[in-house]
Amino acid sequence: MTEQIERLLMRVEKPARYTGSEMNTDVKPISQAEISFAFCFPDTYEVAMSHLGLKILYSIINNLPYAVCERVCMPWVDMLEGMKAENVPLFSLESRTPLHQFDIIGFTLQYEMSFTNILEMLWLGGVPVKAAERGEQDPIVVAGGPCASNPEPLHAFIDAFMIGDGEDVIVEVVSLLNECKKTGVPRAERLRLLAGIQGVYVPSLYTAAYHEDGTLRQFLPIDPAAPETVQKQYVYDMNTTAFPESIPVPYTQIVHDRIMLEIMRGCTRGCRFCQAGMLYRPVRERSVDTLLAQAENLVGSTGYEEISLSSLSSGDYSCLPALCQRLMERFAEKRVSISLPSLRIDSVLKDSLAQTQRVRKSSLTFAPEAGTQRMRDVINKGVTQEDLLSKLKDAFEGGWSSVKLYFMLGLPTETDADLAGIASLGEAAVKAYYAVPKGQRAKGLRVTCSASVFVPKPFTPFQWCAQDSQEEVIRKQRFVRQQFTAIRGASFNWHDPSVSLMEACFATGDRRLSDVLYRAWQLGCKLDGWSEHFKLDVWLQAFTDCGLSPDFYAHRTRQEDELLPWDFIDIGVTKRFLWREYQRALNAQTTRDCRLGCNGCGIERMKGLCSYADDRSV
Amino acid sequence: MRMIVVFEKGLPVRHIGHLDLMRTMQRALRRTDLPIRYSNGFNPHIRLSFAAPLSVGVVGLREVMDVPMSAEVTGAYFQQAMNRVLPSCLRVVSARSVSDTFPTLMALVAGSRIRIQLSICAEAMRVAEVFPAFMEATECVTLRKTKSGENMTNIRPFIAEGSLEVTGTEAIIRCVIQNRQDGSLKPAVLMQALCELAGITSVDYIAYREQIMTRNPQGALIGVEEYPDA
Ligand code: SF4
Repeated sequence: MTEQIERLLMRVEKPARYTGSEMNTDVKPISQAEISFAFCFPDTYEVAMSHLGLKILYSIINNLPYAVCERVCMPWVDMLEGMKAENVPLFSLESRTPLHQFDIIGFTLQYEMSFTNILEMLWLGGVPVKAAERGEQDPIVVAGGPCASNPEPLHAFIDAFMIGDGEDVIVEVVSLLNECKKTGVPRAERLRLLAGIQGVYVPSLYTAAYHEDGTLRQFLPIDPAAPETVQKQYVYDMNTTAFPESIPVPYTQIVHDRIMLEIMRGCTRGCRFCQAGMLYRPVRERSVDTLLAQAENLVGSTGYEEISLSSLSSGDYSCLPALCQRLMERFAEKRVSISLPSLRIDSVLKDSLAQTQRVRKSSLTFAPEAGTQRMRDVINKGVTQEDLLSKLKDAFEGGWSSVKLYFMLGLPTETDADLAGIASLGEAAVKAYYAVPKGQRAKGLRVTCSASVFVPKPFTPFQWCAQDSQEEVIRKQRFVRQQFTAIRGASFNWHDPSVSLMEACFATGDRRLSDVLYRAWQLGCKLDGWSEHFKLDVWLQAFTDCGLSPDFYAHRTRQEDELLPWDFIDIGVTKRFLWREYQRALNAQTTRDCRLGCNGCGIERMKGLCSYADDRSV
Repeated sequence: MRMIVVFEKGLPVRHIGHLDLMRTMQRALRRTDLPIRYSNGFNPHIRLSFAAPLSVGVVGLREVMDVPMSAEVTGAYFQQAMNRVLPSCLRVVSARSVSDTFPTLMALVAGSRIRIQLSICAEAMRVAEVFPAFMEATECVTLRKTKSGENMTNIRPFIAEGSLEVTGTEAIIRCVIQNRQDGSLKPAVLMQALCELAGITSVDYIAYREQIMTRNPQGALIGVEEYPDA
């Protein structure tokens, strides 16, 4: 096989995607491990290697004395075709072991539009694509990550899902399966045992029934080993939970080619469209000392020249100025620069900005998300126009000339006045730049406004909402574009609404979407996250072939009493809280930041987990 | 002070491009506690220079780079420190401390020794058949890309020496390539010319650059890393 692979590598684009051997990947030989785990990322190498979760779990599994973890990524089309033609099975980067020879295959679910890649990878790796067709000798296929919070569209392909923070549950799963392997426990029993681990959902142990109108009537376990409600797992203390001391350093340039320090998990803001903000509650910070030690390890083991602080809202980190200060002092001599990726416009960051600038200047991004105050109140984005403008002023005075503003289009209750507000904000940004005297501002103003299409997500207050129809989205995009033609210095970017339609279907879909997914894959869909490969007509065909309609999933407002496909998961925030937030949204009522007081989201049920929780509000 | 470092770029990393390799070496240096000299200025970095970029896909057995040092360490110490942090497919073979007056590597390069291995198959046998004729001829014209564009070039003068060995399992071509005014000859261009002579469209092979050569003051060909320090 090696010779065939070498031959293929001479022919494909970017062969270094497939050759592994990076620094810090000289892990133990696979033959010596009791149990092997293939960490599968259903996208290309460059995307995979930019993902912090992969690096964390890779190091956790490889630190288990009895286990080995190797990486497997989705090959690009040229390699895919070559592998099919030459009969080369999908193989791991480290030892080139075919996928089907691993004991456990683990997929990370970051994005709905990578689901077809999972099917393709299993098939190419010689693993039966459907879970029901796997036998005693086949690997156990598990999956985790944010999209596992509604696992149903993938239920036919994955043996077990892991819900919640992955650091601990992954060890429980690997160790349990290792014991089972030693004693030869049959597959069905292994799955039953897995269902006993907190946070694990084994779809084959449940059944779903539907009403005439297509909505879910009943969802129940059919095996005593399966809990009625699947409780997610939490990391309680970010200072003691595992974080890698060394991470693979790719040779080729990837999307995020730097050290990513996860300074905290969760977010206190409660934006109503944001799934991550709900899924990762509550906010849990790492201490400055912990972070310094982690940075020290990683700088030493990787030689990276840049550290970025990663979290949903880094500006909210309680000791941000101190952290930046100490990182910069510590690493000045090693010439390591520090950058803040997701700046929040309402964070007190002027000091930190001044300091990052000393090291490196990049384009600044802001996410007002909506154009008017009313709309921002609906989505609970606690940001005012004055906040934004004063941050922009700081940025322009600080020497930045290129800013990006992110918006969403198609939000619940949106009117044309809200859309016009997007253009007005863009115009205000341009004015803010020209308000800085000519000698003091940097040259080359660039205000880039981008609008993505709103996608309703499970476990958010907008999980009941309908997405705008394709025609309406296109009309709105045209309307905003029109507004921007009059503004010099600002540009407007928009997205293909058809991808967002499929995202909405698969984000909020039920079990029946497994059939659609399978059909779409059979019809040739793959790499759908790459616009050049996304084919809406084929997806619509797949829906039709399965007797289902995207309208039902994407364009339907759900009722309060509707049983939702993901209701059997206890993700922390309660359905009651989410409904309350939805009603407040419809009335444009905001909800306070958790740091100002607990809002009783449901996390307070987990004693000692949330430092802002008010236990009496239960 | 500078360190002239000979390293191997192994089979698994033969597809890594020149800039990626440079960045990898810079990161490896940063992982050691070696006294490396950084450039001054807004964006300080390590100014590495390589004797000659290696074509993507070619294995380098004795590649040579020049590392600026801020303090004296021995070659052996340098080698050990680097091999502790490099992956096994990138190994420092030797290192030699030289003075700042040592010529730049690029200026020294006169040619290279290469080896091309072909597993035995019909195409490989065709290439082996035509190789002696290629060596006997004085001219062999093929399309060659240079900085100034694609030109039909007589590539035969680049080959100073050439030999062929056929074993039970493979055919091995060995050549000494001498650089000329308009640069060097890539193994891939040589193979393309041989394929054209053999009347085939392509053949699978693995190319190795075994050594980068220079001429010593007496005019003899030696490894570039062996050039005497004044
Ligand atoms: S428990 Fe209270 S403070 Fe904690 S995340 Fe939920 S609402 Fe916020």
